[in-house]
Amino acid sequence: MVKGLYTASTGMINEQRRVDVLTNNMANSATTGFKKEGTTSEAFKDVLAYKIKDTSEPWGAKTLGTMNMGVKIGENYTDYSQGALHETGNTFDLALSGDGFFAVEFTAKGEDGEAGETSVKYTRDGSFTLNADGELVTKDGDYLLDVDGDHIVLDPTQEFSVDRMGNIMQDDENVGQIQITDFEDYDYLEKYGENYFQTVDGAAEQDADAAVYSGYLESSNVQIVQEMVDLITYTRAYETNQKMIQAFDETLSTAVNDVGKV
Amino acid sequence: MVRALWTAASGMIGQQDSVDTIANNLANVNTTAYKTESNEFKSLLYQTIQTKTTTANGENKPVGAQVGLGVRTASVTSQFVQGTLVDSESDTAFAIDGKGFFAVEGEDGNTYYTRNGNFLFSVGVNNKMTLSNSDGLPVLNTAGKPITIPANYVSSEVVVDSDGQLWYPDDDGTLEEIAGMQIGVFQFQNPSGLEKMGDTLYAETAASGAALNEATNDNLSKSELYQGYLENSNVEVADEMVNLIIAQRAYEMNSKAVQTADTMMQEANELRR
Repeated sequence: MVKGLYTASTGMINEQRRVDVLTNNMANSATTGFKKEGTTSEAFKDVLAYKIKDTSEPWGAKTLGTMNMGVKIGENYTDYSQGALHETGNTFDLALSGDGFFAVEFTAKGEDGEAGETSVKYTRDGSFTLNADGELVTKDGDYLLDVDGDHIVLDPTQEFSVDRMGNIMQDDENVGQIQITDFEDYDYLEKYGENYFQTVDGAAEQDADAAVYSGYLESSNVQIVQEMVDLITYTRAYETNQKMIQAFDETLSTAVNDVGKV
Repeated sequence: MVRALWTAASGMIGQQDSVDTIANNLANVNTTAYKTESNEFKSLLYQTIQTKTTTANGENKPVGAQVGLGVRTASVTSQFVQGTLVDSESDTAFAIDGKGFFAVEGEDGNTYYTRNGNFLFSVGVNNKMTLSNSDGLPVLNTAGKPITIPANYVSSEVVVDSDGQLWYPDDDGTLEEIAGMQIGVFQFQNPSGLEKMGDTLYAETAASGAALNEATNDNLSKSELYQGYLENSNVEVADEMVNLIIAQRAYEMNSKAVQTADTMMQEANELRR
């Protein structure tokens, strides 16, 4: 009886979390290179139920069968499908078509102990710019890396162009190639925020087949219709669980207040 | 739950910023040498809501279930794309074809940069005819000094070549160079880093790098000056309208998410009657 209350509450908490994830998709519907996320639900482990201390059963505890204690997030997946490319006209707005990521040297900010430490992060957001030293950086000032893992330094007084392979041409000379990294299994990528992904232990790199389009940016791949339909599903499931809790409450109330009333 | 509320709110704020930028672009669609701006967004930090997750076939995933906390405006970037050159009646209207900027001296003595070449001759310091912009700020030459012509010159007969050099016809009508009077044109390593001062003026910052003088720096690809032309704003109205639709609908979508979060909290409250 009371167990049902808890089962329904896990349902409400689960739907709440799924709405949290979905809302983030909506908030990032205009974020460059954003990849939408989704959640799956998973049942708690089944448990065996026994009847005990029941004298009507001659052979002691009787197995009632399995029952389930509720639901939790199964996995949180990211849909890495291609977003639409839109034209911007800036040479250093780069979009990737195909699988792969730009590698960026990220400098930790903030007041905690890690401030100033650098690490490599990966991103599909290719809106880069030149800083005052002629280095190619993100809009937050983190360095874009070339194939050797070094910063890309350009002569800002000359015209540049970027070809499909990520080679930067300046004055008819190849002055560097942008690093594009791909991974065997995207499950080993973790979201950092700031449009960055970072690897966890076990991530294996592989050659990327992505082509670089200069003068374009990749839009987010959030589909509004899909998100709205999911939002309806989640909120109604939330409501259903809420109704179940109310039903349990009423039954309990009857048991406590009405049964045995003279 | 409250997480979804704040996430959706960050989305609404971001889209609102975007609409502000678009409105400013549309308001400046006829401003000489205005450069269109665009908002770029970045996702906020991610939190782990559940550390252990499993794939569909029951294997443990290396990464826990993460939820993002919304979006922020990463930058409002000016697009320094060349605007179209339009014919002007004025002899002292100049358009730059290339990456350069004119330099003017502000009231505070600092040098500011502009692409707006709608200049005129006015009576400046020491009663000299000084080339200045429409707000009266003197235009600087390649040496950083105001551009002046002797008071007996007829300003409408001053000719400026594509390098910015001023010429004046002598008694026979042959053009003579006015010594030292060449309109200064400057470039920046990172024009997006310039600080906008209003009145289509820009100020140099650490991010933009120091101004590079086209006259003294041979490596620069030189800009060309056109007398009698002005540079139009590079705002594309069709693009802005499309962006406006996107921003407004995204705003609406996020407001729906706020409503939903509100309803869900209300339902949770109704649990106990």
